[in-house]
Amino acid sequence: MGDIGDSGRGAHGWRRPRGHPVWGLQQRWLRSGDSGQGVTGRGGCRRGVPGGRCPRGARGTRQGQPPPLSLTPVTSQAVPRVRPGPDATRHLHTTPACLKVSPGGAPPPPPPPPVGCPPPLMPLSPQTRAARVRVGKGDKPVTYEKAHAPHYIAHRKGWLSLHTGNLDGEPGAAERAVEDAFLRRFLYGTFPGVLADEPVLKRRANLLVVCAVLARGLAPAKLYFLLGYAETLLARFYKCPVRLELQTLPAKVPYKYL
Amino acid sequence: MAARRLGGSSWQQVVSLSRRCCLPGGRRERYRCSSSSTALGKTVDNSEVTQEEIVLPRRKTWGKLAVLQTLASTVNKDPTAAHYMFQDDPFLMPRNAANSRLFSLSKESGRNAAKYIIKQFPQYFDKTFAEPNIPCLMPETFTPQIEGVSEEALKERIHLRRVKDSVDLFDQLVQAGTTVSLETTNSLLDLLCFYGDGESTPEKEKEEEDLEEPGVNASEQKAPKRQFQRGSQSSGSRWRENNNAERIFKIMPERNAHSYCTMIRGMVKHGASAKAYDMYIDLLNERHKADVHTFNALITAVPYLKERFLERWELAKVFLNHMAQQEVQPNLLTFNALLKTLRRCGGVGRSMSLLAIKEMEALDIEPSLATYDHLLFIFYRGADLCPSGIISEVLDDVEKRSFTPQDPDDANFFGTAMQVCCDLKDIKLAYQLNKAMEKGDNWKFLDMDRLNAYWSKFFSLLCMMEQIDVVLKWYKEMSPSHFYPTPKNILDLLQALDAANHLEAIPSVWEDMKQLGFNRRQDLLQELLSLMSREQHPEEIQLAFAKCAEDIKAVYEQSVREQALLEWTGSALGHVALLFSRAGRTQDAWNMMERFQQINRIPTDQVMEEFLNCAKQTNCPDEAIKLVKLAAALGLPSSQRLKSRTEKEFELSEKQKKTLESIKSDSDSSDSDSDSDSDRE
Repeated sequence: MGDIGDSGRGAHGWRRPRGHPVWGLQQRWLRSGDSGQGVTGRGGCRRGVPGGRCPRGARGTRQGQPPPLSLTPVTSQAVPRVRPGPDATRHLHTTPACLKVSPGGAPPPPPPPPVGCPPPLMPLSPQTRAARVRVGKGDKPVTYEKAHAPHYIAHRKGWLSLHTGNLDGEPGAAERAVEDAFLRRFLYGTFPGVLADEPVLKRRANLLVVCAVLARGLAPAKLYFLLGYAETLLARFYKCPVRLELQTLPAKVPYKYL
Repeated sequence: MAARRLGGSSWQQVVSLSRRCCLPGGRRERYRCSSSSTALGKTVDNSEVTQEEIVLPRRKTWGKLAVLQTLASTVNKDPTAAHYMFQDDPFLMPRNAANSRLFSLSKESGRNAAKYIIKQFPQYFDKTFAEPNIPCLMPETFTPQIEGVSEEALKERIHLRRVKDSVDLFDQLVQAGTTVSLETTNSLLDLLCFYGDGESTPEKEKEEEDLEEPGVNASEQKAPKRQFQRGSQSSGSRWRENNNAERIFKIMPERNAHSYCTMIRGMVKHGASAKAYDMYIDLLNERHKADVHTFNALITAVPYLKERFLERWELAKVFLNHMAQQEVQPNLLTFNALLKTLRRCGGVGRSMSLLAIKEMEALDIEPSLATYDHLLFIFYRGADLCPSGIISEVLDDVEKRSFTPQDPDDANFFGTAMQVCCDLKDIKLAYQLNKAMEKGDNWKFLDMDRLNAYWSKFFSLLCMMEQIDVVLKWYKEMSPSHFYPTPKNILDLLQALDAANHLEAIPSVWEDMKQLGFNRRQDLLQELLSLMSREQHPEEIQLAFAKCAEDIKAVYEQSVREQALLEWTGSALGHVALLFSRAGRTQDAWNMMERFQQINRIPTDQVMEEFLNCAKQTNCPDEAIKLVKLAAALGLPSSQRLKSRTEKEFELSEKQKKTLESIKSDSDSSDSDSDSDSDRE
């Protein structure tokens, strides 16, 4: 691991650290003596900014000879809230949106991360708009799912679609994504107005389990009709057994009002 | 270290407990990071840093088998859950038999709707990307591929069961002069006789059956009887004069035995029994041999050919002799058909059926459930019942085996058997029958309707014969998972509670009634009210009864949109007033008393006495005076007595005394016999 000290020379000669990704980064951080910036430090910056210099500056490299490595495990350091699991790469949410720059002028400094949230590995640009409900007058009820932005996935939210396609070496991730898109539209149309929240799609071997939460807008007999219809049609469409597990609520549950 | 370990283990127990029972937030699962388990272990660490005294729980020791026992307890049938086909949600769970049938049928009709869509648009569903290909999930090709007028096209249309198309094509072929081979013609005849000249997709519903309301009062014996009386067979379309099958049969240049047999079977299936017999005579004249299925059909048709019992038996014997002459081996269905015929042969049937069973044993044919069903019917459900021990022998046989379906009538066995047990009032036989049902695959013979009827009869028998604690145990276990109680079951349960002097369970029965949707049935409400108000009970039971009475009052008064307003009857009103009085709710009781005039009924003496007692206990002399006024207004003979009682027992102010004096009882002057029809029901 001694080579890690060879931090990026050149314009933006960031080199992926060898060894365990998290450890490598942590080591770099530890060595650079930076304490307030989280694991990212400089190491997490994967994309070069056109123009040569990283706007944030390469703090770590400005210092002198790096102190000797300490091989204490990361947990015993005063480390931020990222928990290194056995394979913690999925906790790294490197959002390329951090470096969104508006056409004119330098980007504004990144806002401090909100309290209680693990500091994002990439600070978020205020121009990001993905999957966020914008704050309004305060009369718009918003479910828990919608109220949280995507960087809260795996911290405060779970995943809506569970399959093994995204694991290393597993095929078919794109096909699952397309199927998911179709299934969500299909369910949105089949249960008109009674879907209280996004359906959760789970795939276990060949079986596709659709867990949907409905409001009690239709009579139970009608819901059973739609249930039988959806199960049969989707099974014939995707050539796999499909099971629909429904749960009803009196109404949509608002988490907050935006 | 020890503390942390304890904390860790107790957290594990909490997690395992919460996984076992349903979390109150519903069963929707979200994905949780697997690393959260270790993380939570650490937060337990952090919380123990607090300064206060930590009380360490004693370490729990679990036996070696604890895990296995816990797991084993989860695989039994959950007595509170509905059938597996329903969603596990309080809104979507059916509460009574009608709802369960409705939901299962709507789910099935949803499936049919999906199949219709797939049939209309097969091009969207025919991509084969599953490895290996799953043929049952592919759309079926119903359109014939081969065009043109040829025998191949005809064969294909026959295979696809397109009746009208095949007939048209056949006619075209005949007109064009091409000879159609014998086998093809025979298969066309098969198709026509099977569908009886209707189409293969049933467009029109069967009007003659399914006349009862679903589920609640179903009895399988009624439907066939009604149809027999009308003299028509129950499988859909009727055999018309000179329909396509007959026409094609007549123009066939050559016919073989198969053609005759098909025609006979088709005619029997669709109700033209006399024609079938004529066709059989033709077959004999042509010196052909019939096969076993034809003979089965002919034996089934015997009750429609002859009227008197002995003639029927003789005709059946004739057929059997012909079978022996033509060296056709009888099978199970032959004997079942024979027994079915003997069902309608009265006393002759009883004696001959045992001979038939002996023949079966001699030929080494295993009887099926339909055989036993016919036997039980012959011996126990006929007009004149003579005692016989057949049922125990039958049950002994059935208990030993696990049956497979071989005859469509197999499904009726358990219902008939349970009915016989109820008629004989023998609970031990019923338990034996239950055990037989649980053996192997035998439970599969009961579908939803039959299951409900079966358990409903069993429960009625239980209420009649068993002790109340056994009854209540079965009740808790069986509803709503096994069956939904019918109104008769609730009545039986109430009677059993009455017999066992266990009337304090009545409020919980009322809750169940509300859930089952029986809370607007007059007979049940009357029974409930009369049982509650018959005797005086201890205090808290009386209060519970009063709450029930209030619910029932709300039922009478609320007008639901679809249903008509329930009319108060005199006895019901009296009972409710009585219950309110006994619980000390004077105001409510008085409201009830006022309604008597509205419905033109008169309260009984008992009601008025109780009301007066209540007024005395709660110290409301005004109410007492109002009662006396009411009695006087209605012209009751007891008003005088009430007046004197009020004067004696109550402490009345001057004004009240004067009011009391001024109430003149009309019954002194007028005749009382025309007025005093208090409704004692």
